[in-house]
Order: sequence, then C-alpha cells, then structure tokens
Amino acid sequence: MSSKESFTQISPSEFFYRNRDLAGFSNPTRSLYTAVREFVENSLDACDQNGILPDVHMSIKAVDVEKPDPKQYVLSVKDNGPGIESKHVPLAFGTVLYGSKFGLKQARGMFGLGATMAILYGQITTNKPLIVKSSADGKIQDEYEMLLDIQKNKPVILKHETKEVTKTGLSVSIRLEGDYSKAGTKIRDYVYQTSLITPYATITFDDPKGDKYRYTKVVRTMPPSPTIIRPHPHGIDVETIRRMLLDTNYQIPAVDDNMISKVRKELGLANKNLSHSEIMDKTQKKWKSLTRPVRIVMALMSFLKMDFEKLSKTTIEEIDIGNKKLTYWDFGESQSVSVDMDPESFYYKQLANTVQGETLTSFLTKRFQRVGPTTALKFAEFAKFKPEHRIGTMTNQELVKLTDALQSFDDFLAPDPSCLAPLGESPLEKGMERFFEPDFLAVVQRGASAYSGFPFIIEMGIAYGGKITSRGIKVYRFANRIPLLYDEGSDVVLKVVNDTDWSRYKVKGDPPLVIVSHICSTRVPYKTVGKENVADRPEIERELKLALLSVSRKLSSFMSKRGQAEAAIKRKNLYSKYIPLIAQFCTELAGKKKEPDYKKMIVEEHTVEEKI
Amino acid sequence: MKKKSKKKILDDKQNILADLLRKHGTQIYDDLDKGNFPKFSIPSRSVSNIVYDKKLRQYILGTNMAVRSSRNTSQLRSFTQLMWLAFFANRLTKEKKSSTLRDVYYSSQAFEIDFEDQGESDNIIVDLEAVLTKPRESFHVFPEERSSVFGDLTIEYTVPGYEGKKMNLSDHPDGYAIGPSLTTSELLETSAEVVIAVEKGGLFTRFIEEQVDKKFKAIIVDTGGQAPRSTRTLLKRLHDELSLPVVILTDGDVYGEHIAMVIKSGSANAAHLRELTVPDAKWVGVWATDIEKYKLPTIPMTESDIKRCYDLQKDPRYQEGIWKKELEVFLKIKRKAELEAFSKYGLTNITDKYLPHKLELAKSL
Repeated sequence: MSSKESFTQISPSEFFYRNRDLAGFSNPTRSLYTAVREFVENSLDACDQNGILPDVHMSIKAVDVEKPDPKQYVLSVKDNGPGIESKHVPLAFGTVLYGSKFGLKQARGMFGLGATMAILYGQITTNKPLIVKSSADGKIQDEYEMLLDIQKNKPVILKHETKEVTKTGLSVSIRLEGDYSKAGTKIRDYVYQTSLITPYATITFDDPKGDKYRYTKVVRTMPPSPTIIRPHPHGIDVETIRRMLLDTNYQIPAVDDNMISKVRKELGLANKNLSHSEIMDKTQKKWKSLTRPVRIVMALMSFLKMDFEKLSKTTIEEIDIGNKKLTYWDFGESQSVSVDMDPESFYYKQLANTVQGETLTSFLTKRFQRVGPTTALKFAEFAKFKPEHRIGTMTNQELVKLTDALQSFDDFLAPDPSCLAPLGESPLEKGMERFFEPDFLAVVQRGASAYSGFPFIIEMGIAYGGKITSRGIKVYRFANRIPLLYDEGSDVVLKVVNDTDWSRYKVKGDPPLVIVSHICSTRVPYKTVGKENVADRPEIERELKLALLSVSRKLSSFMSKRGQAEAAIKRKNLYSKYIPLIAQFCTELAGKKKEPDYKKMIVEEHTVEEKI
Repeated sequence: MKKKSKKKILDDKQNILADLLRKHGTQIYDDLDKGNFPKFSIPSRSVSNIVYDKKLRQYILGTNMAVRSSRNTSQLRSFTQLMWLAFFANRLTKEKKSSTLRDVYYSSQAFEIDFEDQGESDNIIVDLEAVLTKPRESFHVFPEERSSVFGDLTIEYTVPGYEGKKMNLSDHPDGYAIGPSLTTSELLETSAEVVIAVEKGGLFTRFIEEQVDKKFKAIIVDTGGQAPRSTRTLLKRLHDELSLPVVILTDGDVYGEHIAMVIKSGSANAAHLRELTVPDAKWVGVWATDIEKYKLPTIPMTESDIKRCYDLQKDPRYQEGIWKKELEVFLKIKRKAELEAFSKYGLTNITDKYLPHKLELAKSL
C-alpha cells in the first residue's frame, strides 16, 4: 500500500489562520487582550518613529450590551501618528507579512504581524469588515472598509471614501469576539502600566461599562529614537550569514525583459537597437554610473557577444570562474552552449568578484557593526581563514566554522547601543512620581551591555511609601516599553528581586514598595512565545542585580534616616512615659519627698531628634 | 523540753530588706537628679551562668551580670517594671500585707505598668529576687500552693491584727496551712527533736492519727509533692533557728528522690537564692533498695521515669552516696513503689516498723 499525500502551498494568511494560538489568539479572553496590545503598540511605535508625542485613544464597546460574555465587541484605536499613505492602506492591513519593521532596532512589536492577526481573528469570529481611517498628509483622510481574502492573502475593499481633515493620524476599528468580564482586569492593567512606561504619551481608554481611564502625558520630551544598525558578529547564526550572502548584490541577475529594460534605461539606449560592439562602447563610457546588477549583465554580455534581442532568449546556467567558462541555455537552439572567458579582461574581474563574493575582511568591515580592518585581520587569523578568502566560495562546513568563530572571538567591540531606545532616568522618575506619589523614589539607567551579540540596557526605579497601598513588594516589568503581565513567577526580574535580602536595605515585613524594571534590547530573550517573561541570561541577570543594588542602596539610606527619626520619636515617647514613673517609684523607695529633676532628660532627647 | 526563743530575728530581716530597697532607690534617685539614666546589674540567670557550688551544696549563679539600663529603650519598660515592683514590695513589707504572684500582676495595673501577662510579671519578681538575693516571700509575695504542718511548736504571729498572738501547731488535728502568716511568725518553742517531711497529704493525716508527733517527738510537714518555697523556708527555719534535724519521706521513685534533693539543695530555677535549702536534710526513703528489702508491691517505671533517671545522672549532686546508688538501683529494677504500698502489711505498718527503722538509720547517715 502506498501513501498518497497531496502537497499544497498555503498563503501566510492561511498559515496564521491555522496557527492563531501561537500569536495569542487562543480564546476570547486572551484574544481581546492581544488585539488591544497590538493596536496600541502599533500606534505608539508609529508615533515614536516619527518623533510625535503620542495621543492614543482606545475604546471597547459591546455590540449587544445585554448578551453574556463571550460576545462581540467593537475595538477602536485612534492615534495622532503619521498615518499611512492611502495606497499602502489595503496592503498594510489586508495582507499578512506586509510590514515596515524588518530592520535591526528596538521597537515594541517585531514585524507588525499582530495587528493583521487581530484583524484576521475579528473577521473569522464575526465576519465583519475592518474600518481604517488614515491621513498621512493631514489634509485628506481615506476611509477603507475591507475584508481579508485568507486563501489569497489579499485585501478585498468593500468601500473607499475620502474626506478633508486637519490632522494626520490613523484610526482602526474591528469587530471581534471577546470576553471583557474576564479580560478587563488585564486590559486595564495593560493601559495603566503602558502609561507608566510611556510618560510622554496620553493614553485613554473607554471601557464597555462606561468607565473612562485617562492618563495624560507628564513629560513633553521624547526619548531619542533609535537608529537602525548592522548586526554584531556575536549575534549571528549560519542562516543569517547565508542570507547575507544571498543578498541581491551578490546574485547573478536573471536576464529577463525587466532586467533588459533596466539595462537599456541605465545605458540611455531607450528603444534603440544597437549592435553588440556599440553597446559595449556605451557601457565603457557609462560604467561608473551603472548599478551593480547592470554591471554584471554587461560583463556577461561582453563574453556572450550578443545584442539585446539574442540575450533575451538565453538563460545563464553556470559561471565557472576556475575554468574560465561561461555556460548558457539558448532557447532558440534549445541547447547548452559554453564560451571561454578571457581572464585578463576587465569584465572577467568584475564577474569573479561578484560570483566569489567579497573577501572575508571586506565582508566583516562592511556588513557588521564596529569591525575595522585591524580587527578583521585579527579575526581571520583567529578563525584560520585567509583574509582574502572569498565569502562566495565558502562551503557549508566553512560557513559553520566561520559562524562559530564569529561567536567565540572575544576581541570584537561590544554591540553598538545606538539602536536602543531606553526611556531615560528623568522621564521614568517623573512617570513613577505621578503614578505612585511615594515618599521615596530612585531610578537608575545602567550603561549598555550585551548578551550573545544583542545590546541591552536596564532601567530600574524603586518607590517606597507615600500613596503606595500595596503590602509587599510589587514589581512592574517592562521590555521595550511593553508591560509584561503574564507568567510573572518565572521571570528573571522576579528572581533577582526575590533573591535580594531586603533586610540588608532596612526593608522589613510587607513594605509598600514598588519596583519598575525596564529591559531594552533589539532582542529580548523571552522564555516562551507568549513573550511575557524574560529568560535568565547571566549577562541580563547581572545587570539587573547591579541596577537593583544601586537603587536599593539609596532606599537603604533613606530608610535609615527615616528609621533614626522614627526611633528618636519612639525613644522620646518611651522616655516621657517611663522616666516619670521611675522617678515616682524611686522617690518613695529612697524616702524622699520631692521627685528628682528628670525633665531635662526628656527634653534633651527632643533636641537630638531635631538634629536628624 | 527545749525552749528556744528567737525573737527579733524577723524584725532584723525586715530591716535588712528595707535598707536594701532604700539603697537601690536612693542610687536611682540620685542618677535621675543628675540627669543620668539609671541602671543596675542583675546576675544573669541564663543556663550558662548556673553552676553547682560544692561548698554550699546547691546551685548558684555564676559571676555573669546583665546590665539593665533605662537609656536602652528595649530595656526601659522592664527597668520601670522592676522599679515598680521594688516600690510595691517596699509598701507590702512596710504595711505588713501579703500578696500572691497573681495579685502582683493585677496590682501593677493601678500604676499603668503594662505587664503583658502574668508570666512577664512573674519574671520581674524573679529579677528582684536576684537583685536583692532574697526570696519573694521576704518581700511578702507568697505562692498559692498550700502545704501543712503539725506538731508541738508554739509560734507568735507578726501579721497585722494578730501581732503577739500565740498558737501551738498541735491544736488542730488537720494541721496548719503554711501560709504567709505562719511563715512570717516567730518560732517560739518546741518539744520536738526531729522534723519529718512527707510527700503526701494522705500519709500526713495517717501520721497525725498514729500520733507520730508524740511517739517520735516530731514536727510533721506535708510538702504536697514538690515542696513550695514557703515550705522550704519553714523547713530551713526549723532547722536553723530550732536546730532540728530534718528527714524526708517520699514515694519510692525518681521524682520522690528529687523532691528530697530540692529540699536539701535547691533547684536550678532558684539558683539566685541562698535561703531556701536545708543542706543537712536527710532523705530516708522510700529507697529503691527498700522495695526489695520490705517486699513492697510495685508498679513498672514509665519511659519518662527512666528518662528522668538518666537526666539526673548528669546532675553533679547525684554523683555520690545514696543519691547515686539509689538512682542506679531504680534503673536496674525499673520498678517503683508508693508510700501507700506499706498498707499491704496493715495500715500502721509504716509507722510501726518502717519509720522507726528509718529514723534510727538517719542518725548514722
């Protein structure tokens, strides 16, 4: 018996539809919460990236108030961000994997997938369209009503209208199945904590019960925005290297009609039909202005000795630099043809460069951050590669060897933290001051550090007393300005806090103590796909410990001052209570009539207290 | 008939106590007047500071002292409590009033002295005993346990309302309770030549019925189990003031043996006091060796009895003589016998046979 399986390709939408649990859409409670997060974080990211102080307004309304949960809700998020250009709107919201977040820098979301997932989830639970209103120029607003074609991964536009507005911004509204009675607490916590870590934003939330939550901005300066940077050698794996090699610059371009018209354009030949030699003359004159793919096509043409007409009927099969042979398939003749290449020719060198790729040293200095020629040479020696070894000719085994060496070479500079966007001590302090109104507050921002080639920065704040009503230590965890609400127990921050001997910092019992911890990194090492707890990497744990130590010491000195003051008052109270009694008893014991003059003893203690 | 008048001894004792209290009070008064925080030293009563004194033949406190200062806020409260107790004791002795541990606890509340519970006030009482090295009975705080005494002894009361009144302790066939008034009375005269302390009320009554007091010229004391401190004080006074030998009869078990030992040489709990022991007192029975000798009906020792034996073997006082020997025999036979066991041979067997033997034997111990 033979098994028959049919293999079919599925679209990304189809894939996510089938695996929606992975993205946090497993049930109505979790889905509502995840959808809120995705839209709010998209809005904040968009504003951050464009230097706009965010105003984000979120609302959740029940479609039918009377029905019991789970039921349908309308979720709307509106921001004052840059908006999205009209022509991108359908693709941005109607296709999975259409995003703008594929660079290496710190952002809240990774690829912008979540919002589309939320839309997808909304559509499959309610079959209602999504409504997007966007204005990128602050004059015209486009309103789209559309559905996703899941199988084709394409948007289906139901309605498109425009109207005049005065501000840029984006507003998204979806209908989805949710359970607010269960998700409400988490969503409110999320909004509260997001406002805490985003003190430069105004965030409002109107909940289905009619309650309104308003958090207005406390600072009017944005943290400096991060820059996109090249990867660090320690953070690389074999697959990443392979992708870097396959980058378009290094591929042999397909010589199709598109390419030919591009070549014509760059050579300024338009529709003229020139002979081969005429074309090559033109090429030499224009060489310096040509783009890389065109240069390669022209190098090939120099050996093929064809005009464009003929070229369009061939496919390059092999470029054998070692044997100096070029093989192509001729459609017209339906046969494979080989021609020799002159190794002395200018074009041969061009081709060799492209096919074999750059030398190792040039690859290292150009494609990685903070690697100079000296380090590159040192590395080549360390990895036992020749510095001029061509990357393109490396075998799989050599690539693995290269990757291992990149990860274990210790002399690379630490990763460049300019791609990080920590909040900053002052905004964090102001945010915490507003939220907790404590008696004591200390914040610290640690210097940049790195784990496995990914830079990270720890920020931490500690607040004590005042209007903090919680009994026991409450930890607010953030990663890349996102609150982490689930799976608290297994998080490295909790581990560090719990490992601390608080009595050393004069904190006893169940103190009204709040700790805010913020990890910024291009890649936060989450323990699980749910992205709710941070794994205990030793480098991160160490930085967290140092950060906690730094703020705890300040707390300790505050506590001892307060302790001294409290003790002085307590002492004075005790003395004023007991010394007169002692005086009374000893007077009778000693058989005296007048009590001893003890009053100055109680007064003296009073002055001691004032000194503190 | 011997006549022994010991008048004025009690008055002297009261004066010594009053002087001691005034001395401490004055020192603290002066400190306060100069603006200094008063403090005083209390012998440490921790286990590490309790040592056995071979000369005195009792446990005493070592040389470690704990300073209690009114400057230290964690000691201020107990300092004040101690001061109050001294003040209260001073009033009690001056007014010749008696009090109990429980009374002290409640009396404190009239002075805003916040004892958390009676345990705390009891503790402070022991502190004062240690500072003054006087038992609490000397400052008129008496235990509530009552034991009894019977025999030809004439006393004179000193308590208010009874001053000068005399009484013979053989007048009442149930005996007399050893209470504050009896403990503080003066011991005037007696015809007795020996004091017999018995562990049990039942035997005490039998002895009175069988006129042991007359037959053996004895004062009979019922200790009611472990002898209360007032009883031990009385035994000591009978021995010291009237020069009477003291013999002790207990059940034939390890607890009985230790009751005798406490009368003789005190307990670790009262190591801070020196006036509670009768080092010359003699334990005459029931010994472990008597069980076999008199063929007494026995009951098996319990596990806690056996454990107690092993504990006592570590005590320095059980390292010699009958104390050591009897303990070993108890452990060997693992059986014990009560005083009532003699009833097997008739109700008067114990007074007719056993007691004469033992009193005779006591002279040679």
